[in-house]
Amino acid sequence: MIKINKLLKILLLLAIFSIPSFALRQNEIEPVMQSKINKVLTVLKKKESNTIRGQEIIRTLDPVFDYGLMAKLALSSKTWGSITPAQQKEFSRLFIARLKQSYLDKLDLYNNQKVIYKGVKPYLKGRLQLQTEVIGKDETYKINYNFHNSNNSGNWLIYDVELAGVSIIQTYRQQFAGLLKEKSFNEILTQLRENQPLKTKQS
Amino acid sequence: MNIRKIFIIALLLNYTNTFADTAIENNSTATSITSLSDVNATSEINTSTGNTTSFEDEFGNVNETAVFDPFSGYNKFMTNVNDKFYKNIADPIATGYAKILPEKARISVNNLFHHLRFPIRLANNLLQFKIQNSAEETGRFVVNTIFGLGGLFDPAKTDLGWERHDEDLGQTLGFYGLPEGPYIVLPILGSSNLRDTVGLVGDTYISPLYSADADDICYKIPQNTGQDILIASVELINKTSLHLGEYDLIKKDALDLYSFLRDAYTQQRRQKIKE
Repeated sequence: MIKINKLLKILLLLAIFSIPSFALRQNEIEPVMQSKINKVLTVLKKKESNTIRGQEIIRTLDPVFDYGLMAKLALSSKTWGSITPAQQKEFSRLFIARLKQSYLDKLDLYNNQKVIYKGVKPYLKGRLQLQTEVIGKDETYKINYNFHNSNNSGNWLIYDVELAGVSIIQTYRQQFAGLLKEKSFNEILTQLRENQPLKTKQS
Repeated sequence: MNIRKIFIIALLLNYTNTFADTAIENNSTATSITSLSDVNATSEINTSTGNTTSFEDEFGNVNETAVFDPFSGYNKFMTNVNDKFYKNIADPIATGYAKILPEKARISVNNLFHHLRFPIRLANNLLQFKIQNSAEETGRFVVNTIFGLGGLFDPAKTDLGWERHDEDLGQTLGFYGLPEGPYIVLPILGSSNLRDTVGLVGDTYISPLYSADADDICYKIPQNTGQDILIASVELINKTSLHLGEYDLIKKDALDLYSFLRDAYTQQRRQKIKE
């Protein structure tokens, strides 16, 4: 009887861990992020073309980011609710592309700085924050990754990154709010499209 | 000494917070790594179907959390002036300087400037009752003076793990509950607010790198305004040389540079005061 129970437990565990889609559990946040960040740093040292390295980095990080939520929050729920589904889709696409590009831009100046992991701490409203420090030439920068329990499914995803106390989402919210006072939403979409750092079909 | 002169030097000497700090977001310049179309093709987008109300509380209403900015006309003008100053003066000089002096030497110069600002950090740590940090700062000063060749190196951090605890009078005033007041863009220095500007002038008085009250305070290094300006310029160029390209990345990144700088500065200061 005991053996069967044990077997069942193992099977159950196997079932949980073999769910094909990636799911980041609460207690895995730190080790998984550590290995992902290490992977990114390894990729950076490779002598590949920027395009290939960029793809690899994005592929590594994509599963842990809740891009859809980030796009929504960056615009604020109120504005998000006031635009058409087509605009929402277009905005998400452009915003997410921009987010990724700006992340990659910054990595390029990475210069063997040391990353220190300070652990996962409870954050607002049952959310979690992974705290890290990057030892730079001049200062030590705090980089915090904020996670939420996506749809209460136990899959933790990043919805904001704070760099030295500055929330990426918050700065975007303020910028969009400011822009919306002067421009229509379609004009903002146009600006996002034009600001695209890279055109399509380059390589 | 006339107050305007004092003010301008104060700005120069405290350049540290300008481009350098807001630039943290951006760390350095470079060519872009990848083509976006390719990136998008490879990735699936996580989407959250749940509602976002609980997040709205975290980020707040955009109108309520907006920075108090009654001088936006002047501020925008000054942001523009600083932009030109950076692009046409500070950046080219720092780029040339970086070619002449190896990075290690520039980091040492930077260490020295931090080292000499010890009185400001100590005073403000003490004023905020950060006793352990004050002790660590004092320990750092002693260790780096003796074993770091008078502050050129930072063995306190590298060997003992004692971090620098940056505190300034603006943070101290914030700690005591003084509101930040209107946002102000200072010449050369960039983003600030009324409270931090007052703090800046205060810090400058006890800074060894500025000659105010040189007759009464024995540790002052420069003895006159000419020397003040010289020291401030060296620091500015040295600092800029360690952060080359970061400002350009911010510019590239920001949808609206002015509001980006304003909000990033304000968020960062609020966070520092909380800590």
